[in-house]
Amino acid sequence: MLVLRAENLCECRCGAPAALKVRPINRATMTEADDDKTFFSRNIEENLDAFYGVALRLTGKRADAEDLVAEAIARGWTALNTLEDRHRFRPWLFRILRNCFISEYRRKSIRPVETVYDETDTGDGDVSTFLMEESDDFLRWWASPEQAFFNNVLAEDIATAMNELPESFRVTIQLVNVEGLTYDEAAEALGVPKGTVRSRMKRGRTLLQKALWAHAMDAGLTPSASKVKTDE
Amino acid sequence: MSNEDHTNHDHAHDDIGCIEAIEALYAYLDGELDDTSREDFERHMSHCRSCYSRAQMERALSERMKQEGKAKAPAELQSRLKALIDDF
Repeated sequence: MLVLRAENLCECRCGAPAALKVRPINRATMTEADDDKTFFSRNIEENLDAFYGVALRLTGKRADAEDLVAEAIARGWTALNTLEDRHRFRPWLFRILRNCFISEYRRKSIRPVETVYDETDTGDGDVSTFLMEESDDFLRWWASPEQAFFNNVLAEDIATAMNELPESFRVTIQLVNVEGLTYDEAAEALGVPKGTVRSRMKRGRTLLQKALWAHAMDAGLTPSASKVKTDE
Repeated sequence: MSNEDHTNHDHAHDDIGCIEAIEALYAYLDGELDDTSREDFERHMSHCRSCYSRAQMERALSERMKQEGKAKAPAELQSRLKALIDDF
């Protein structure tokens, strides 16, 4: 009669060989796994528009944005154990999304060469310095912004101006202004200090204003441009 | 921006200047100022017409950008991701 050593017997002590025993389902583990999938699926569903919006802002193309989101979600699932605080799901997955973009899509992205900004600068003095460099016409408008100008700014003007921003400013504005992340959450999503987020928000918005002003000038919407047309 | 100070000088002794207010504007709109800075900013806004109108315009522009920047994930993407997650 074959006598099995203790370590080769089923752990429930029924006497059956361990190799032949169907292991009982660990209800706690299975429940935990279901909770992970339910948690993950629910958060993806709730935030999908935001993830897609940021992906679109990064890639500039709908098809690439869809692929980027799918890639990020697949990576996120395999890396779920790295999410330390479930309340930080959004910034955590935004960070994965951006890392996927950097590793897979950035080199394929067809965008003009961008001006490199010194990110070590905290940005203090950005707005006042920017204004000191601007023309008198812009400054008069800046000091007394006209509702008419603002009302006439078209959706495509804003979209064009956003797309013209350097990537780091563009995605930061998308995360904070459009998707509502705090500076702290955006810093986590982008892997940068909070001060850098603050600086990018200031600089990005001032650059955006400059671009919108330029578009308005071209379209004859600004006071000086209108005056020129009247005089012609 | 001109160097002209738009503040009411009766309040100047406890008021931040226009330059400082403009520098804090975006953080204020984003809800990122601490209590003291926020109070200083709002105090300046209460009596500086120029900075107040600038802040109103920036707030409206931010709202506009938020509206225009929102995207809707296509139905095909939703289906694709549902199938992907079901396979997890």
